[in-house]
Amino acid sequence: MKRKLISVFMTVIMGCTLLAGCGSSGDSAGTSSGESTVAMENNEDAETETKEADTKEADTDGDQTLTVWAWDKSFNIYSMEEAEKVYQKDHPGFQLEIVEVGWDDMQTKLSTIVGSGNYDQLPDILLMQDFAYQKYCITYPDLFQDLTDCGIDFSQFAEGKLNASVVGGKNYGVPFDNGTEIAAYRTDILEQAGYTVEDLTDIDWDRFIEIGKDVFSKTGYSLCSVQAASSDLIYQMLQSAGVSTWNEDDTPNLVGNDVLKQCVGIYKTMFEEGVMAITNSWDEYIATFTSGKSCGVINGCWIMASIQSAEDTSGLWQITNLPSLPGVEGATNYSNQGGSTWAITSNCSDFDLAVDFLKETFAGSVELYETILPGAGALSTWIPASESSVYSEPQEFYGGQEVFSLLTDFAEKTPSVNLGVYYTEANTALATLLANVVAGSDIDDELKIAQETVEFSMQ
Amino acid sequence: MSEKFKTVLKYAFLIICTVVSVFPLLWMVIAATNKSVDVIAGKLSLGTNLVENYRNLIGQQPLWGNFWNSCKYAILVTVLALVVSSMAGYAFEIYRDKAKNMVFSVVLMTMMIPFVALMVPLFQIYSRLGLLNTTVGFILPSLATPFLIMMFRTGAKAFPLDIIEASRLEGLSEFQIFFRMFMPTMKSTYAAAAVVTFMNAWNNYLWAKVIMSDNTTQTMPMLISSLTSGYVTDYGMLMLAVLITTIPTAIVFFALQKYFVEGITGAVK
Repeated sequence: MKRKLISVFMTVIMGCTLLAGCGSSGDSAGTSSGESTVAMENNEDAETETKEADTKEADTDGDQTLTVWAWDKSFNIYSMEEAEKVYQKDHPGFQLEIVEVGWDDMQTKLSTIVGSGNYDQLPDILLMQDFAYQKYCITYPDLFQDLTDCGIDFSQFAEGKLNASVVGGKNYGVPFDNGTEIAAYRTDILEQAGYTVEDLTDIDWDRFIEIGKDVFSKTGYSLCSVQAASSDLIYQMLQSAGVSTWNEDDTPNLVGNDVLKQCVGIYKTMFEEGVMAITNSWDEYIATFTSGKSCGVINGCWIMASIQSAEDTSGLWQITNLPSLPGVEGATNYSNQGGSTWAITSNCSDFDLAVDFLKETFAGSVELYETILPGAGALSTWIPASESSVYSEPQEFYGGQEVFSLLTDFAEKTPSVNLGVYYTEANTALATLLANVVAGSDIDDELKIAQETVEFSMQ
Repeated sequence: MSEKFKTVLKYAFLIICTVVSVFPLLWMVIAATNKSVDVIAGKLSLGTNLVENYRNLIGQQPLWGNFWNSCKYAILVTVLALVVSSMAGYAFEIYRDKAKNMVFSVVLMTMMIPFVALMVPLFQIYSRLGLLNTTVGFILPSLATPFLIMMFRTGAKAFPLDIIEASRLEGLSEFQIFFRMFMPTMKSTYAAAAVVTFMNAWNNYLWAKVIMSDNTTQTMPMLISSLTSGYVTDYGMLMLAVLITTIPTAIVFFALQKYFVEGITGAVK
């Protein structure tokens, strides 16, 4: 009897799961309908009915559904959903089917799809990290569509940002979020050491180290922190002077790069003097400024979301520009770290619709940026959006500073550099270099090893 | 060294091992009840943010949809893989064939090939067969695993051949012998194999990520990955998702642990 019961139980489970499996298969065959996504995500009949109604309407005008791959539900995907709403006002049948795909997963999926030649598995639009744009455009020339003459006015984007998606003079993407470099400081701790944010504005790294030493000796706080397995800070310093780690012929420019050597020297001094804390992981890095070991952060402006997670420090932070490289021609106090861009893939089912959607939203709607700035902190690189009054609203968390207009100003002054096709490889090689230099190795020897490592990766 | 000192040393060692093993689980539970800032700060006491973390989690992600998908895939893979692999292991051991040892060696050699190397050609095949974003596509590569076949072949070595002979004399077909004689006798091997297979299927991430591009087909490991892919990670919410993801594998393991050791060592009752 017991055995029979178990058999019946197993049969029921298998039957149910197989039936459910068939259902999933059937739904996914019609991914463009958009019905299945909504039904599963929300489990709300009412909303499903609404979507079904919309889909029917769309069907009467022809299919107006685009598939999008992006990461970060509360930032990128939220922004895309808001863009969908803006576009739907004039195009009621339009729909997006947004699939959440993390950046690491995106790379795996793209490599698999391109490697197997199944381009038909690509979405219509996908989000790309700026630092990887050149690599994907050059390595897989059939992956993205050329948008140069599609009607989007690219001159309305900040130049430093736009260059990430320009390959061979052609535009392959619509810039989205801003990675403008900021230096944020805890005013209460600076005050204990006798400084204000003004003392750290428009300064160079020599002065930064001088103040940092003083702050450390008086308060025990470092002035900034970094993650050990990353050379992002070095890249930020280099970009602030418009210096690249690549020559014009795309060969690595590490050995003999005096500005790079200077940056590594500054990095080492900052660590030795207690001006900069080095952490082992991203979590530890965040903890340095949210839990109080460091009274400052130097990174892309997207780091503000992490700073603001320490709600109890509201009103105690202020933002300014980063230090410049002393004695370097063309050195500025402005740089960039990260950011992303929307690309239209070669598998796009309706290129004109995708272009029109991006043109009317991320490259043409002040209303969209007015919504996503307060909603998600998504700062525009589309210059006309910065004229909106939302950008000049004082931010309570940063002591009433008009942070967003400040950042837009920084973005316009940021020099552009060639991050190179092998940015990730060079970044990793430089991170190893930094770890060894901090441990006592000679900078020149390490630069030689890093150059050889990058050259090997490029083979 | 006195006997008492040896005992103290032994217990001290065991206590350290227990703390090292249990601490991550304990920390996972504690972190799930705290705010992200507290988790980062290393707070080691239970917090009051569990409900808030749960609300945020179901607000941001289709938690129970993904949970159902994971259950569905893991149960299907476990049941089908046990049937397929145990049949293969049984056949390799019981039936005579000149080439079987060579074939078995080839099967074992496939264990050496990393899945990453198979991913692109598999994706190509599944794409052509229209199996992307389907349950069948997800479970098919996991049905016949060399490890399970080897495990069942080892188990079948201890299965008395006399039972087979007697069953044949009683008029049972080969399938009846397998299902009515072999399967009940080898339940500890099945239990151990079920635990291993369920865990592998539940934690399967890479293949799922490659072939599942639809929001409706996402699994729990993919949900956890999504929670860490944002610019800001809510560690309280993340640890709650990890906790929920851990529960089914823990239940399966504890339910079958009685048979697990027996099965792994190949004992037959």
